[in-house]
Formats: sequence, C-alpha cells, structure tokens
Amino acid sequence: MMKKFIHACSSFLFKRNKFRRYLRDRRLCDTTFVALDLELTSLDADKSQITSMGYVVGRAGRIALSSSGYHIIKTNGDLGQSPVIHGLTQDILAQGEDIAEALTAISSLFKENILLFHNARLDLMALNSAFKQCQLPQIEIMYIDTLQLALYQLNKQHQVLPSNSATLTVCRQRLDLPAFPAHNALDDALATIQLFFAQLNELGITQGDGLETLLHTKAVGRYQLG
Amino acid sequence: MTAMAKQVEDFLDTSAPFDKLDSEQKLQLVKHADLIYVTADNVGELHQGAPSLFLIQSGQFSVQDSDAPLRHLSEGDYFGYSSIMEKRPFPLTVSVDSPGLVYCFDASVIEPLFNDTAIRNFFDGLRNNALQNHAISDTNSMWLYKGLSGVIEKSPVSVEENTSISAAAQLMTEQKVSSLLVTKEDKLIGIVTDRDLRSRVVAKSLDTALSVDHIMTSNPAQIMGNRTLFDALALMTERNIHHLPVIDHQSLVPLGMVTASDIIRHQRGNVLFIIGELSKAENLYELTRLSWQLPHYFSAHAKKAGDYDIAGKILSQATDIMTRKLIGFFQQDNGKAPMMFSWLVYGSQAREDQTMGSDQDNGLLLANRPTESQADYFAAMAEYVCNGLAKCGIKLCDGNIMASNPKLRLSLDEAVEEAKQWVNAPTKDAIMHFNIFLDVRCAAGDVSLFKQLQKRRAPLMQQNMFLAALARHSNEISVPLSMFQKFIYEKAKNDKRKEKDVIDLKTRAVALINNIARIYALADGILLPNTLARLDALSSSSQLSKRDAANLRDIWLFLNRLRWRHQLENKVTDNRVSVSMLSSIEKHQLKAAFKAIDRTNQAMVMKFSGGVS
Repeated sequence: MMKKFIHACSSFLFKRNKFRRYLRDRRLCDTTFVALDLELTSLDADKSQITSMGYVVGRAGRIALSSSGYHIIKTNGDLGQSPVIHGLTQDILAQGEDIAEALTAISSLFKENILLFHNARLDLMALNSAFKQCQLPQIEIMYIDTLQLALYQLNKQHQVLPSNSATLTVCRQRLDLPAFPAHNALDDALATIQLFFAQLNELGITQGDGLETLLHTKAVGRYQLG
Repeated sequence: MTAMAKQVEDFLDTSAPFDKLDSEQKLQLVKHADLIYVTADNVGELHQGAPSLFLIQSGQFSVQDSDAPLRHLSEGDYFGYSSIMEKRPFPLTVSVDSPGLVYCFDASVIEPLFNDTAIRNFFDGLRNNALQNHAISDTNSMWLYKGLSGVIEKSPVSVEENTSISAAAQLMTEQKVSSLLVTKEDKLIGIVTDRDLRSRVVAKSLDTALSVDHIMTSNPAQIMGNRTLFDALALMTERNIHHLPVIDHQSLVPLGMVTASDIIRHQRGNVLFIIGELSKAENLYELTRLSWQLPHYFSAHAKKAGDYDIAGKILSQATDIMTRKLIGFFQQDNGKAPMMFSWLVYGSQAREDQTMGSDQDNGLLLANRPTESQADYFAAMAEYVCNGLAKCGIKLCDGNIMASNPKLRLSLDEAVEEAKQWVNAPTKDAIMHFNIFLDVRCAAGDVSLFKQLQKRRAPLMQQNMFLAALARHSNEISVPLSMFQKFIYEKAKNDKRKEKDVIDLKTRAVALINNIARIYALADGILLPNTLARLDALSSSSQLSKRDAANLRDIWLFLNRLRWRHQLENKVTDNRVSVSMLSSIEKHQLKAAFKAIDRTNQAMVMKFSGGVS
C-alpha cells in the first residue's frame, strides 16, 4: 500500500519534472500556438454538444490568417439558448460535418503545438467527452489558458476581483485590443490568440524566453483527451 | 480551408480602399495576409518574408518606409506601399510606441489590386501626401452647369424631310411633344413646332399632304450636347425661342430637345431659385416667410457635393438681399438717408461661407461724422435691419458685432483711425477682437465709400509687424491631430448628446484656412474677403505657392461639404461633425487635410513671424 503510494508520488514528480524540463528547453519563438474555441449547446459539460469549432495558428506574434479554420458540426440534440447566442440554427447545424471527422482533422494540430483557450476547463471537458464518444485514439495535449493568465495579472492588482473582469471582451479592452464580434468560434479563437500575444507583452516575456517562464502563472497545463 | 473571421471582414470593410472590394477579392486578400501583434520584442517580424503592405489596426508606431521623413502612425494608417509601388525595396524601420495589431498583406496579392484606378489613386494620394482630389472635380455640378446630355430625358422625336405634314402632326400628338426635328440623312435640317402648325398650316389652309420641309424653320438654332444648361438658356433668351435642338458634338446627329419648361423644372429644384423669390418680397412679412423656407430649401434640394460648395454663397447672397430689402423698407417709411453710407458685413457673411448656424456680423460706415439727428436716423435704421434679419432667421450676434451697436457705426475717418490703432498695437486681445473685421464686404448702400476705406486701409495692413502678429495669433490654434496622427475629439459640451468622436470643423480647420488665406491676401494687397477668391487671386509674387493654394482650396471645399452635409442631414446648426459617421475614405481625407493645413500654417508662421511664436 505504502509502496504503491510512494511509487505514485515519485511517478507524479518525475512526470512533473519532465514537463518542466520540456518547457525550459522550448523557447516561445520556436513554439506554434493554436487558439481553439468551441461553441457548445450548454454550459453543462456532461450534456453539451459541440456545435462549431474555430481555430487560428500563430507564432511569435504572427497570426497566419490563411491557416485559420472553422467547422460546423452536425448536431441533433437540444440547442437550448445556443442559436440565440452563436447564430447557429438547427438548419445550419443539420448540414454540418460529422464530429469525428472534424476532430480528426484538427487533432493533427494538437501534436507539438500548444493550444490556447480562454477558459480551458469547459472546452477541454467537452473535447474529452467528444473524443470518448467517437472512440478516437488518446492524445495528450499541452495548453495555456488566457483566462488564468488574466487572473494571475488581476490578482496582483486587486484583493477582490470585480465581477466579469476576466471575460474575453474585458481582458482585451484592458490591453487596448480592438472590439470584436463575440460568440462565433472563429472570432473567439482569433480574439484569444491576440489576447495571448498581448498578455505575453504585458508580462514582459520575450520571444527568446523558455515556456517555463509561464509556469508560475498556473495557466499552463496538460490534459489527456479520450 | 481558409475561413474569414468576422472581425477581419469588418475591419477591411472600414478600411479604404479595401472597403470597395467584393467578398471574393477580400477572401483572396486574407489568404495572403498575416496579422501580427507587434511589440518592441518581435518588431523584427515585420521584416520577415516577402515585401508587404502593412495596415495598422491598433497601437502606435513610428515608421520610416521611404525617402520621406519619419511618420507617427496609428489605427487605419498604411505603410510599406512605397516599396511596392516603386518596385524597389526601401529599408523599413519601425519602432513601437505602443504595441498593437498590424495586418501584413503579401505584395503578390496587392500588386494586381493596384491595376484598379481607385485603389492606385488612393495609395498615390498617400504617397504624395496630398488630399485625394477626385471628389472635388464635380464642383460645377450646380444646375446651370449641368451638361445638356444629362438634362435631355427623351430620345429625339424626328421625321425625314419628305414626311407629310399630317403624318408629322400625328407623330407629335402620339409622342406628346410640342416640337419635331426634321432630318435629312440623319442630320438636322429643320424644326417644326406647334406654333408653325398653327400659323403656317391652319391659318393659311395649307394642304397637309405636303411634306414638312415646306413649313419647317430651316437651319434652326442648335446646341452641342457637350454644352451646359446655362449655354442653352443664354441662346434661347438671345433668340427668343422655346425649343432648342441638341446635337451630338461629333456625329452631329440630333440627341433631343431642350425646352423652356425643362429649364424651369431644373431651376425649381434648385437652391438658387429661392434667391429670385426673396428679391420679389414686398414687405417684411413676405420677406420673413420666404426666409424661413431657406433651411427647408437647402435640405430638400442640396444633394450633391457641388450644391454644398455654393450653399454658403447662396445663403450669403440671400442675407445680402434681405439686408438690402430691409434697408429699402426702412427708407420707404423714414425717408432717404441723410448722407452716404455703406452697410458692411463681416466674418462668414463677408467671406460668403455662411452656414445655417452663422449669426449676423455687420456694421455701418458713414461718409462723415453724423449730427445728432443724423445719428438717430442711422441708429433707427440699424435697429430695424438687425432685428429684421433676426426675424428672417439670421441670429443676432452674441458678441454684439452689429450695426445696432453705436461703436460699429463709424465715419470713414474714424474707421481709418481705428485701423491705425490695430496696426500699432496688435496685442493678442486686440487681434481676437478685430480679426473678424478683416474679412469685410459691402452688402448694401454706397460701394464707393467702402472702396475709399479699403484703399486707405490696405497699406497699413501690409506692414510686416502687423502680419507677424496675425501669423502668431493663427499659430495658437492647432489642427485636431495628436502626435500619432490620431484625431483629437472635442470635449463634450453637454451630457445629453454623445459627443465622444466629434470635431468642430469650423474652429479646428476651416478657420485655420481662412486665417492663412487672409494673411497671404493682406500681404499681397488683395481686398477680396472670400477665402477661395483670395487663394485664387494671390499673385505670382505671393509667398504661398500655386500648388499649396490649390491644395488649400480643395481642402476648404472638402471641409465645407462635410459641415454642410452634417447640418442638413442632422438638422443642426453647429459644425461639430461626428468622425464615426464619415466614410472610411473621408476619414483618410480628413486626416490628410488636417496634416496639410498644419504644414501650411507652420510655413506661414515661419514666413511672417520669422518663426517666433
């Protein structure tokens, strides 16, 4: 029993060190980031379905607009409030792609690259359950959560955070980024990657630095999909 | 698969000249575009890859991208176009003053777009740092200067010369026309009118089976299609005719007919019409009733840029007519004036750039110092005219620059003496006070008296010290652009209206051009008050170059259009134009206009005050 526990602990520590070493060796300018945003039918990760996915690829502050992508997913379930918010109606969704195909298409971007989310938790859980449902091969991803980066910065300035102070729109305003039409997966992804580059600048992190410099913000993580 | 994010499309839609591209072209553009978040750390990214055109979406940068000096750029500005247009690489230096997003379009996708004239002109304009002039070229579109080819609505109703009179009359009835063109081998040889049918056929019981050439007017007056409505009107008045054939100026084939009723129709739909009506008013009641229609008339009929160009002039002329009418009404009741006088107008009315919100600025010039009873007469007249103008909708002047103010009823000698005082002590406060009097025109009364005043005053005002003081005063106002060429907006006047993006075009820009034109004109001894006329009249020895003068003229017209459109569309009388309501190209033009005004103003201060400011 004890042995098992020690083994688990050392295995955990070993893995964590390996992750840390990996991040230290990797400089920002050599890292490609993929901002990914999912629009879901509900905020309850167990029940929600993915209705659309948008992604944008960038490196060293440069976002290649030609590499951006947008997938509408064939969805049959209850859409709830979703059509109102995302503008995707049942008709549009019925003509969408199969979820498994779309996930397979974008999962090639997951290897080697680091994913960016604004509020990673919800999107990762939705991705995870979609991976399981489609019985896709397991994959470990690395991600950075721009919401966590924003909270890290905000916590340095405030004792108590004002409500709504970490939404994508508000975070962007704080860093003088232009207004954008929210609630479309592609626009949110583009907005997120811009926010990330602006946050790096705010934190004083340069392209020559290793990814390790981001660890203390608690915004960097790994996640097992599938 | 490339998808275009809405925010990218939205931004392109507000960025001249790309706002004019169709969605397929925009998608092509985006496929070859990167968006870079440029910081001091990664600014080197701008040099990566092929030559590019850069467009700033946010942030502030100091850029040198050609032989031109360093520019401070921000949202909506382009750089890197010189390399692409001249097809030779210029070194690009960019320093980041505040980080932000920069679009980076590959030269390979931009070059084909330059074949589009509008796009090419846009970047040519940026490169020459001049205001795009193409919008200004239609200045003459006021109705009288409309091309005839645009006026003719119907295709010509014509017959060959051997057609019978009865067949011709039937055709005229069918087509509901009162005149008919007679042709031979498609060339015009004659004209037949209703009147000809009456006097040459019916009255003489002529056989209607005869051919029309028996009754037509041969070799009728005619006009080429490339002439204007004004030319047609002149010719018709001269010949006392109501039908004028219009022919193509190259093929000589008839294009149609202009009739007297066509001209009346075009005239009615025009702002000039109101002037004729005003001058027919026979009493104060009629005058005020007609005057109150002026704003409606402008909003109903001033549609084109060319109308805005003359709107100020028309309003000033209308005010002149009101003034003359009112003086006439006063004299009907109180007898002739006891001595010669000139009714002087100042400021915008003198310059003929009045807008709806302009108040009255006027004064009286008397031949001699009046006796007490004479003074009473002029006091009563001034009171009557100023109040009459107010009833006609020309506001009383807050600053009391009105003939009803005894200080503004000076004799000729007193007026010259006053000018001497201005010149001898051009302090800041004094200039503030008398600047308005430097734009002056005689609107009623005796012009020769006013001319004497001008003749005696002109040499005084050409003195260097005086001009230097005026130039320094002009330097106190600056164009509403920040160091990074961003618009500086007015502070909100009241909380009721949202005013976060307004600029007062009159005080921030038009007034500056007026100042510049005034000072160069005074130096040149030009007595005209109108800004455009002053710029036009500057002699070759003037220190303002022809090119700068022409540029200022275009800018003045452009600003004038913006503020007239603002007043008519929003039914307001101020000049506080909202920048967000302007089209993308207008924003660019406005920025370019401000820069040009600033440059010319600085140059003027250097020339006249030796750079001491």
